[in-house]
Amino acid sequence: MEFISVKDVVKEYETAVALRGVDMDVEKGRWVSIVGPSGSGKSTLLNIIGGLDSPTKGSVFIDGVDLGSLSEDAMARFRRENIGFVFQQSHLVPYLTSVENVMLAQYFHSITDEAEAVEALNRVGLGHRLHHRPSQLSGGEQQRVCIARALINSPKILLADEPTGNLDRENTRLILELLKKLHSEEHFTIILVTHDPFVSKWAERLLTMEDGRIIKDEPLYC
Amino acid sequence: MSLFIVEAVVIGFKEALKLALVWLVFSAFLLEQNRQKLIIPFYWGVFLTFLLSLVSFFIHPDLFVKDVFARLIGYTFFVFFIGSVAALYQSSGVRLFRFRLNDTILRPVVLLLTVFYFLPDIVGSSLFIRELSLMKESYAPVYVSALTGFVVTLAAVVAVAGRFRRTLGKFFGIAQFLLFLSVVKLLGGGIKGFAELSLIPSVERGVIKFVHDVVHQTFVFLMVPDHPLLRVTVWNFIGILFSSSFALWIVLLVVLTPPVMFLYRSFTARIPEPEGVLTGAEKRKIKASIKRDRLRKAVPVAFFVCIILVSWFSGRGEQVSRFYNPKPKPVVEDKGVVIIPLTDPAMDLMDGKLHKFSLLRGEDTVVIIVIKKPDGKLAVCLDACEICPPEGYGQIEDNVVCIYCRTPIPIETLGQKGGCNPIPLKATMTDRDIRIDVSEIDRLWQDVRAGKTKEIVK
Repeated sequence: MEFISVKDVVKEYETAVALRGVDMDVEKGRWVSIVGPSGSGKSTLLNIIGGLDSPTKGSVFIDGVDLGSLSEDAMARFRRENIGFVFQQSHLVPYLTSVENVMLAQYFHSITDEAEAVEALNRVGLGHRLHHRPSQLSGGEQQRVCIARALINSPKILLADEPTGNLDRENTRLILELLKKLHSEEHFTIILVTHDPFVSKWAERLLTMEDGRIIKDEPLYC
Repeated sequence: MSLFIVEAVVIGFKEALKLALVWLVFSAFLLEQNRQKLIIPFYWGVFLTFLLSLVSFFIHPDLFVKDVFARLIGYTFFVFFIGSVAALYQSSGVRLFRFRLNDTILRPVVLLLTVFYFLPDIVGSSLFIRELSLMKESYAPVYVSALTGFVVTLAAVVAVAGRFRRTLGKFFGIAQFLLFLSVVKLLGGGIKGFAELSLIPSVERGVIKFVHDVVHQTFVFLMVPDHPLLRVTVWNFIGILFSSSFALWIVLLVVLTPPVMFLYRSFTARIPEPEGVLTGAEKRKIKASIKRDRLRKAVPVAFFVCIILVSWFSGRGEQVSRFYNPKPKPVVEDKGVVIIPLTDPAMDLMDGKLHKFSLLRGEDTVVIIVIKKPDGKLAVCLDACEICPPEGYGQIEDNVVCIYCRTPIPIETLGQKGGCNPIPLKATMTDRDIRIDVSEIDRLWQDVRAGKTKEIVK
């Protein structure tokens, strides 16, 4: 069985249809980029895979677990232990320092361990910014804190929704290099949504969406 | 509904509630330990207990046997409490025992412990019910008590069957379960119906007696004739050592120290680093589950600490206001005899309260005390002992207390001669009154007045 398996997923809202029967399989440890124009259903699909939203029809399996069969509590637990999220906006708690923001993720997962949080920030190159608040960090640094926060609980999947959307080219490259390094070390699965061709090319596989459907599925060699 | 029936209902309810609670927690504990089969010897133990209590109901055991059963309740509490302390010590990380008993050994152990735990209460209660039925000259209290017990047990079992047990089991290790058993015994171990619903007064009395004996034996060891030598002011200070308050604090200290230390350790002890090749998140998850388990196991301990505190202090609150020292009623000699009626419009000697009567003998006023003992007989004594100056006695619940030296004397021991007990008087009982020879009063009073008894002590 595939690590991530999306079967005939439909998502309908009152006034619109976001996904019109999406099928997709992802092997463990792969980096997949999803591209497409605005409104094509990329973020909706990502949210459904991450258990943040539920499909109107169809099912999603992650490592053999049918997300539709999980209760709200079990879903939250599953998310906490298996999935890391990075969004376009950093969503860091503004009055906590970098290390405290990472420790917050540890707290909701199990218990805090400051040494481990410091180590995680060192790995993303922020060892000198441990006790700075988000407002004292640049956009690229904030996003690196987000990556440290997303990976601190050793998730099996990293879901990234436009992680470099607010960054300049130099910072984008830095973030992608960091992700590539961590991915090669820890072998977690990445699904990254973007509409930037520069970003999508870092993946091993590229899915193109349009009008709620996957219209192209191609391997990438970088 | 007569008082006998109400009392039978209360006893049936209390015993059934204890049985249902123990069943609930034990089955939850076994479920968590995945040892559900051990519930079978528990059921056999309960069955055997009821069988033995039926036997005791019909063989008319004597006072000695009854006393043994009453004492057994206290011993059961002690055994389970010590067991829980040892298990708490073990569960806090110190390896006292390194073996794990298998089910073959545990089956007879569970059966025997079940009988040991329930037998004193059930036999005690059934004997009490038997006395009620003898007083009422009907088997109604027996039927009512048995029916109440059966209905309450059944209702409790049906109400919680299958529910809560999985969750409840997570809160109970062996230490918590043993502590639960000892607390149930402590709070519901009394067998005297309304009069004594818990063991707390007995435990306090035991401590008071122990401290009192230690104080006096110390004086004996030092060859100091304490009572004749020391004045009442000094005794007021020494008496603090065997007052209820002192016993309260001693007992609280002894009973609460182990669970409080366990709680302290639960919250402060370092969580060991998980072994093996694990990611940081996996290690934290294991540590979190250890921490969660520690907190869960601390909940019943904290709960029992609160219950014990509340029960003890509520008992204390009642006690403070219950020092009873009635004003003596004058009685007169009639042809060499003092006659005290059992009842009159203002008094009932069988009400369990201390009664005092004063008799003028020359320049002296001799005071006589009368009180009903737990066995239903009346104790008639001088309001003085062989040791202290004749300041007399007051009453606090099940004790009379020497006003001079503060020594509490259990009411059931009145009539015994010597020591701190009031000097017993020979009296004739009729169905209407008590008759005491004045010559007997004069003889004993002269001894008190002349300090003869104190000379003997010296």
